[in-house]
Amino acid sequence: MRHHPSRDLIIPGPAGCVLMATALLAWSILFLKAEEQIPILVYMISGSLLVLVAALSDLHKSISATISSNESSWDKCMTLTLLALILIFHDDHYTLFLLGTIMVYATAVLGLNVQLGYTGVINFSAASFFGIGSYTAAMSSAAGLPSLPALLLGGIVAALVGCVLLLPVLRTSGHYAALVTMAFALLFRVFLEVNEWFGGPQGIAVAPLTLFGLDFSQDMQLWGIEFSFYVKYDLACLLLLVLAFGFVRRLERSWLGLSMDAVRCDETAGACFGVDIARWKITAFTVGNLLSGLAGALYAMMLAYISPANFAFPDSLLFLSILLLGGMGNNWGVILATVFVVVIPEKFQVIQEYRYLIYAALVLFMILYRPMGLLPRKARNYGRLS
Amino acid sequence: MKTLFFTRALFVCLALLGLLMADPALAAKKSVKVGFIGPLTGGVSANGLGGRNSAELAVMERNEDPSAKFLYEFTALDDECKPNIGVQVGTKMGADRKVIGAVTHYCSAVALSVVDIYHRFGLPVIVWGAVQPDITYGNDYPEVMRICGTMINQNEEAAKFMRSQGYKKFAILHDTTDYGKSHKDFFSKYLTENGGEILGVFGVTSDQQDFTAELTKIKSLNPEVIYFGGLTPLGVRIRSQMDKLGIKAQFEGTSGIKSDAFIEGLGKNLAEGSLSFIEGTPTEKLPGGKKFLESYKSRNFSQGPEAYGAFAYAAMVRILDAIEAVGPDRKKVTATLNATKDVDTLVGKVTFDDHGQNIVPAISKYVVQDGVWVLWEDSEYGSGKRRLKH
Repeated sequence: MRHHPSRDLIIPGPAGCVLMATALLAWSILFLKAEEQIPILVYMISGSLLVLVAALSDLHKSISATISSNESSWDKCMTLTLLALILIFHDDHYTLFLLGTIMVYATAVLGLNVQLGYTGVINFSAASFFGIGSYTAAMSSAAGLPSLPALLLGGIVAALVGCVLLLPVLRTSGHYAALVTMAFALLFRVFLEVNEWFGGPQGIAVAPLTLFGLDFSQDMQLWGIEFSFYVKYDLACLLLLVLAFGFVRRLERSWLGLSMDAVRCDETAGACFGVDIARWKITAFTVGNLLSGLAGALYAMMLAYISPANFAFPDSLLFLSILLLGGMGNNWGVILATVFVVVIPEKFQVIQEYRYLIYAALVLFMILYRPMGLLPRKARNYGRLS
Repeated sequence: MKTLFFTRALFVCLALLGLLMADPALAAKKSVKVGFIGPLTGGVSANGLGGRNSAELAVMERNEDPSAKFLYEFTALDDECKPNIGVQVGTKMGADRKVIGAVTHYCSAVALSVVDIYHRFGLPVIVWGAVQPDITYGNDYPEVMRICGTMINQNEEAAKFMRSQGYKKFAILHDTTDYGKSHKDFFSKYLTENGGEILGVFGVTSDQQDFTAELTKIKSLNPEVIYFGGLTPLGVRIRSQMDKLGIKAQFEGTSGIKSDAFIEGLGKNLAEGSLSFIEGTPTEKLPGGKKFLESYKSRNFSQGPEAYGAFAYAAMVRILDAIEAVGPDRKKVTATLNATKDVDTLVGKVTFDDHGQNIVPAISKYVVQDGVWVLWEDSEYGSGKRRLKH
């Protein structure tokens, strides 16, 4: 007997979204506030048990049905959840910094998703393009350019530098393409280290973001409440993430996304049907680097000090592993995985040198039981007919 | 039946709650938090763990001292030797108002990125292992101090020493990282000031395998000394390729090659006579060093204190002393630490200058003799029995 999705729906439409978002918000607050070993473990285990129960029962079907049939309310709920988290932790510098890092990384990985997840263009130098954005923002604001153009320039320069790599990326595939981008990542780091002009191996200070006379690096008081300076950065990060997310989703659902899918699935078949392979690879590569560069520029301003060691090859691997963990091609997966990768090692600081052991165990578990990532990309669903 | 279940559940809940609430606040003494940051995972974690254990040892000893006014809570965070992670954990420590002082950073690039954060949050820190001069001299932050020496001291001593041995013509090889490049800069500066002559400077990447091009050029320049600013793996390759090309010059390294791996990599004969300069006096030669090593051993830490452990210990003792003297107040502790002058510590007398830099750091000279690093003064080279290459 064929299951009718609406029959499984226990939680009704938008109200269901609000309910789930509230539950998520409550759990996140508790988890982020937890500092001691035992509460952290309790929250982690209870969270994973809940997920496991949902996965084993039919609950996950109704959850995903609710989300996919009420997309716009779900999007709004998630944005509001992040906003609420920022406001709740308004004076907790550290948690806010962590949230900002998550949002910036997620934006960069969304860029990588367009390249690898949508189009299948391999890029082992995502952190380098992130770094190009950072360094462009640093150098251009040091040269007196206002913050907003410096931020945009970060993305544009990253996209332009990416063009240098276009020819080798187009002419190679598979392992060879991976090697080309790896070589670029190494080249980029050495280039920064030997150039005194870019601050050399020591790194360079970055001017804070200043928009309309508002200095983002100062704490502020509003209605008698103390707000950390990171609140402003987090709001900027959130804006960037929302814009990037909307953009890549629209890209995916447009005919552009369809062409990219064709390039990824079968180049030969795609070419036979008149899809211009080179054109879509170039588009995806450039768009991805643009997003990484923008994210990098904002990150640099938030960090206030950058050095080549931040954008090394292992960081590119980190970006790539976020994408693999989340589920290639799935934008929500990217965000979920970024939260995992940034927050979990931080929460394990209490067990110090052993923390990467647990982290590694979690990754192994993932590979064994969810090889396609936490949230694998679904097949396209036209019209939600049935 | 149902009531029994509820009673049981209640007990479990209470027991859990008790576990969570168990807090040293019940103790009579007021508890004060002090921190440590260093690389606890990754390539240089041995040094980070040694530093952490040493700092923790200082806290343990103080807590056992009945005359201590406060009960100290030790918290350690891992910066992974990565600047952005450093900013993250530095923010965590700085924003935690309960932390009154901290002993921070082994990696220079990390320390450089985080000093602004400590200043912003007003957290007094003493750097225990990062040697880049700009960490203290690149800013005017009263909160940032450093107990170990800088590359400046190391290279000033090295340049003067080499000149006193009668060497005049030098060739410089260095890796292009922060470490190698800064070493080159300071060594060149002090060497020319002291009348030495630099025939050529060659930068190499930190993972280069073959140095034939650079060394052939150096051979034709015919220097008396080849100075190498960089770490052990490169040092081993350069020294052995010097031999292959028949270069007879004296090999001089920095603190980066002072490791047993350097001698193991080259073998006894080839390593013989190589020179290295490092901040600090060997722990066992320090006043109180023996007591420190014994106390360290008695706590059964799973790693040794390593080269910079004594600095982390001495820095933590300084912070604890300051808190004992003026109470758990960041501003007062900063002022007390800044005023440190001629204080006896495990690493010798400590005086902070107006940038918070310890200005009386000891530099030790080492030479390889029969397959071990020996202090110059104790070696047969120092006593004149053996001679360096001329």
